[in-house]
Amino acid sequence: MTGIIVLIALGVLFLPQYGLYWRYRRRRWVQSRQAVEDALAHLHQFQHDGRPASVESLSNTLGTSTGHTLILVDRMAQMDLVAVTGQGMRLTAAGHRWALQIVRAHRLFERYLADETSVPREKIHAHAHQLEHTVSEAQVDKMDADMGHPAFDPQGDPIPNAAGDMKEIKSQKLVEWPAGVPAQIVHIEDEPPEVYAQIIAEDLHPGMVITILDISSVRVVIGTPENEHVLAPVVAANISVREAPIDRVEPSGVPLTALKHGEQGRVVALSPACQGLTRRRFLDLGLTPGVRVERVMQSAFSDPTAYRVRGTMIALRREQSDLILIDQGTRQEREITV
Amino acid sequence: MSKTTATPSTGEDILGRVEEMQRDLDGSYRDEIVEAIYQDAEAITRKVVQTGETASYPWDQKLDRIVTSRIWGLPFMALLLAVVFWITISGANVPSAMLAEGLFWLGAQGVALFEALGMPWWVTGFIWHGVYRGLAWVIAVMLPPMAIFFPIFTILEDLGYLPRVAFNVDALFKKAGAHGKQALTMSMGLGCNAAGVVACRVIDSPRERLIAILTNNFMPCNGRWPTLIILATLFVAAAFPPAFAAMAAAGSLVLIVLIGAATTLLVSAILSRSFLRGEASSFTLELPPYRRPSILRVLYTSLIDRTIFVLWRAVVMAVPAGGAIWLLSNIYAGGQSLTVWVSQWLEPVGRAIGLDGVILLAYIIAIPANEIVVPTIIMAYTGAGMMIELDTMAELRQLLVVQEGWTLLTAVCLMLFSLLHNPCSTTMWTVYRETKSVKWTVVSGLMPLAIAFILLFIVAQTAYWIMGLAGW
Repeated sequence: MTGIIVLIALGVLFLPQYGLYWRYRRRRWVQSRQAVEDALAHLHQFQHDGRPASVESLSNTLGTSTGHTLILVDRMAQMDLVAVTGQGMRLTAAGHRWALQIVRAHRLFERYLADETSVPREKIHAHAHQLEHTVSEAQVDKMDADMGHPAFDPQGDPIPNAAGDMKEIKSQKLVEWPAGVPAQIVHIEDEPPEVYAQIIAEDLHPGMVITILDISSVRVVIGTPENEHVLAPVVAANISVREAPIDRVEPSGVPLTALKHGEQGRVVALSPACQGLTRRRFLDLGLTPGVRVERVMQSAFSDPTAYRVRGTMIALRREQSDLILIDQGTRQEREITV
Repeated sequence: MSKTTATPSTGEDILGRVEEMQRDLDGSYRDEIVEAIYQDAEAITRKVVQTGETASYPWDQKLDRIVTSRIWGLPFMALLLAVVFWITISGANVPSAMLAEGLFWLGAQGVALFEALGMPWWVTGFIWHGVYRGLAWVIAVMLPPMAIFFPIFTILEDLGYLPRVAFNVDALFKKAGAHGKQALTMSMGLGCNAAGVVACRVIDSPRERLIAILTNNFMPCNGRWPTLIILATLFVAAAFPPAFAAMAAAGSLVLIVLIGAATTLLVSAILSRSFLRGEASSFTLELPPYRRPSILRVLYTSLIDRTIFVLWRAVVMAVPAGGAIWLLSNIYAGGQSLTVWVSQWLEPVGRAIGLDGVILLAYIIAIPANEIVVPTIIMAYTGAGMMIELDTMAELRQLLVVQEGWTLLTAVCLMLFSLLHNPCSTTMWTVYRETKSVKWTVVSGLMPLAIAFILLFIVAQTAYWIMGLAGW
């Protein structure tokens, strides 16, 4: 008997979603800085996209009940961050300013995590989302300056500057792009995560030049100089492109792993898939276009391979050597140009 | 001053221009900057640096071909390790004995002096039999092997061999989701785990660095070697003719190190598939050309930076531990010393994992410095209330095997425990300094301890069961 009472009591307290404890936790959350900031970011995103934001859209994004969302909106209205009108909710000037600040912090953190840490791509968004609520405006300014005022985050979203200005790039959805015309990826949407994961799996990055080879209602086939990628139309819809700059032809070359023992080649470029810390490290080692690379030896287990670059011997794992594109053939003529 | 000028004149104008230009930069401008820097550097080098004939590396390449060979690479590594241990063990014997004799003689003079001065017995006992003997033992046991091991290790490092080791075994670490440079930090750990943990800074990726830090303890450090060497000599070498004894002892040490390396890989693999899940990050390792080691630098680095540093740390830790042992053995409650009480209480736990209560007590006292495990065990067994002096291995054998009934199982379990148990307090403090996380510091202490207990329990219970079947 006592057991049943204890069970019921536990249920009342801890039942997922409905238990008193969880209600209390949500209530506390709704009162937190994070809730306000997440709501601001959502409203800003919708306003930016020209979609009307509503209490429903807000509850969906925040994962809260309508009741809690109403409390939150009420609180934000009192703080003079949103104005509730007949059409829905709008950010006030103050709300807009704050929202931009969060967007700025979020995208700067994403840039930082991508360039300076080895946090995997699919986790960057979640990490940045946690971090964005922990910094003050002054700290964000300092981060921006220390990183050299980057203009875009790793997905290609513009990062606002301190005044709130963003450099927008005109782009259109990949699915609306004519087949056969080279296009440069300018933006990859990182939500929903399931779709983003598929784009990551295909190793597509902003800045890459691609061509649509085939498009139908069930699949989109795109080509890069090295590879072909098959995407579902929903996935392709999350990629935005623009006309490829004429002076930027995607480098074509064979991966460094194609070298045989004792052979030499010249670096043509680092693959666009090579980003962040790895790219930085390669550049530091002097793996710049034109440099001569010789394959010297293999390790006992045959995986890391040692290459001679600029007089030093550097060991690379296979995955990394694949990111370095080289030119094996026309060694003689290029000797003169460098 | 006119407000609108074609060329920016004030600081704000310039900053404005910078801002404008930054916004127009392509993402690849960093690449272009690096390229430009390299081009400039090349141009300058061409002007000012003269090279002889095209650089060739015939000697290097021949050596590399053997050292990284698919067939010879790994055996060469094991052989080299065995040789290093062999030199260390056989070279350290005589100086260790001499040091022990000298320091204990000095201790005897100290006792005589205090008695002549009419000091109370407990002052003499605490200072000379507790603190001083702990100190003397640590110096006598540790200094000679370290003064041999560290220079050899530094020579290998200076020569450029260690990066080749990392190069050779990287494939194993990659499979474990870890970084090849972990091999470097592990070889550093053979000297001192605290130094090994600090060395983990060479690994860029935070995840892989943490794995390397948490598993560094599985490489037996200098402080644990005395225990391992004594056991290897008493139980392994004794089974061989005297001519091969040192070699057999060295071989069993290599085996211990290999078990440690296997544990490191296994634990790394488990960690990188559970709590520290993630992709293997980028791996770039520079393989420097072979260089003739500079003797002065080797001596300086190995003796001043490493030997003296590690010895000083051990001394600082041994002083309070020596005092603690003396106090535990000389404070009586209910007709028994505290040592006896505690070891009796720990006895069932110890037995379950093939050891006994005294050994566990010794390990608890030795948390600050693993070096004093053996002297503490001896002291507790003899009940002398002080670290007694055992001149020869034969006397030690008499005590452990005949008097206390140690078997091969005890020796194996103790060697495994010594290899796997928690790191010393200095290493844990270093882990905290490197990770700035209480959580990971606690994990670095409790994880090895748990592994040691579980593995030893399995080994001991299996052995007991087999012995029961065989009717021993």
